[in-house]
Amino acid sequence: MATVARPRVHTGPNIPEANIQLPSVETYGQVTDEIRRTLNPTKAWLAGLLLAIAALLIGLGAWMWQVYMGLGVAGYSPPVMWGVYIVTFVFWVGIGHAGTLISAILYLFRAGFRTTIYRCAEAMTVFAIMTAGLFPILHLGRPWKFFWLIPYPNWRLIWPQFKSPLVWDVFAILTYLTVSATFLYRGLLPDFAALRDSERNPLRKKIYGVLSFGWRNSDIEWRHFARAYLFLAAFSTPLVLSVHSTVSFDFAMANTPGWHATLFAPYFVAGAIFSGIGMVFTIIIPIRRWFNLKHYVTLNHLDAAAKLCLFTALIVATAYITEFFIGWYGGSEIEHSFWYNRVFGQWWWAAWIMLTCNTILPLSLFWQKLRRNTTWLFTLSLFINLGMWFERFVIFDPSLSHEFEPWQWTRYAPTYIDWAILLGSFGWFSMWFLLFIKNFPVVAIAEIKEIIPPPLRVAHAVEGIEVTGMHLEFEPETPGERD
Amino acid sequence: MEGIVGVFRELDSTVGAIEAVKKLKAGNIRVYSPAPRHELEHLLHSGPSVVRRYTLIGGLLGATFGYWIPIWISDYWPLVVGGKVVPSWVPYTIISFELMVLIGSLATVLGLFIVSRIPRITMTVGYDERFSDANFGVWVECPPDRQSDVSDALKRHGAVEVRGER
Repeated sequence: MATVARPRVHTGPNIPEANIQLPSVETYGQVTDEIRRTLNPTKAWLAGLLLAIAALLIGLGAWMWQVYMGLGVAGYSPPVMWGVYIVTFVFWVGIGHAGTLISAILYLFRAGFRTTIYRCAEAMTVFAIMTAGLFPILHLGRPWKFFWLIPYPNWRLIWPQFKSPLVWDVFAILTYLTVSATFLYRGLLPDFAALRDSERNPLRKKIYGVLSFGWRNSDIEWRHFARAYLFLAAFSTPLVLSVHSTVSFDFAMANTPGWHATLFAPYFVAGAIFSGIGMVFTIIIPIRRWFNLKHYVTLNHLDAAAKLCLFTALIVATAYITEFFIGWYGGSEIEHSFWYNRVFGQWWWAAWIMLTCNTILPLSLFWQKLRRNTTWLFTLSLFINLGMWFERFVIFDPSLSHEFEPWQWTRYAPTYIDWAILLGSFGWFSMWFLLFIKNFPVVAIAEIKEIIPPPLRVAHAVEGIEVTGMHLEFEPETPGERD
Repeated sequence: MEGIVGVFRELDSTVGAIEAVKKLKAGNIRVYSPAPRHELEHLLHSGPSVVRRYTLIGGLLGATFGYWIPIWISDYWPLVVGGKVVPSWVPYTIISFELMVLIGSLATVLGLFIVSRIPRITMTVGYDERFSDANFGVWVECPPDRQSDVSDALKRHGAVEVRGER
């Protein structure tokens, strides 16, 4: 529900506050019309969709070749039996985390700036987990047996081993996918109703009618909706922390140099949120430009999200430093040798891509001008995506190729099959996201109506009526908010 | 079901109309708004949502099930791993937690649907398409002999349209 404050006198610059004011959004009708307009397909959107499908088909072709030829075509040879697929799996699971952070955790913290970006971030979460979920299956020699990990009564009389982190992962990822999709759909209910009621095309009206489940915006529905929202956010908050912790246990439970560390759970969670915020920038900056939503997703909102990005980058940097310090200072010859090989030896190039993209470049966000520069934010987000993919590469493959026995030390290089499947995963993710943004509202209609001032018969606030949000006087010189 | 529905453009008009209709004690009041508003909720003296019960029951069932299934399976096929006891509750807590969240969340949404009485097949009586866009609505379920009083009260407080429905 709306958080409420009396109108107050403007006392100073509002730029650093990153508050929720939307000075160019004045009426409820404007919100419905402008967000509905984003659903009209354009040629650029169609071109993007075709490109995504083409990338997906390349990945699909590579996978079919791998099924036919065997996993050897993906560059696996003992002892390196986990490569690009596990790297990309963890990368996509991590991408999803920012969506839940923005939609659930920031909701509990009443961070108003989330309102305009959370729908995109939530959809990103669902599609990122759908993408991640493919990789354990792609990694199987016999992918048609993937359901053996699910505990159900079967003729084999064999059950999964519940002490295995891989089984925990199955539960964590499936729960995360289901809860994220539920959270997304629940938020869409009132928006489907708004689209149903404003739609003139009978077929689309019917479809939105079915999707809205007959939602009518009544006081009873809103009351229960708000409560369900709170509980789902409360469930999602520990869930998001648990999922990447569980993913980290896949590695930390193994007695492998570089993996066997108690640091892994918080390290993974912070990295996941950091990478997810990077992807949010990659998605939201073009959307606000192409869909003319700059007055919804304002520079203040991007500024606030950039501060969050900087904060998580600092946590990730602390984790890197801790990991390296323990490797150097911990007294284990194996760990020391492994750490040196990772940063200055065989894998130096990957490690320094990671360190540059994830710890050095994000420091630029200490400057407000760069936090409010969308070109820089977008460019930085691409570097973060790259850096976080390499972070997982640096964690997984150097460990497997440099274990305890020197005779086991080897090399690993991804093949064209790996790269094609990686490309296909981006195609799969982009295809679903592009289909989403042209069929469903990318900004939450009902929640925007909550944060703009309600229409009043008497121009000023009257007794018993609260004027929503921090509606400070608008500063015309604030860059980007009127364009 | 029979009554009067009033369409309002402003929140303060809607609040005034609800107060006036409540004084008439003509019948049940249902309010429609494009977004949730505390003013309307407070005015209708709505109690706490019962969705929380569904959440609690779902969460408890999920947590219980999450312990029960691995313990049962461990006993069914006892396999010692890492020298640990066969039913080890520590790793099973992860399964229990995940299922608590999963079933608790699904129960919450189920509860939302049940108490909000959705899915709803028909949308006719007392609803107007403008209520999801920019207008507020007040539906008063009342017998024919009270409808003129209610209609007058709604108009007096700024309703842009008042009509009877059944």
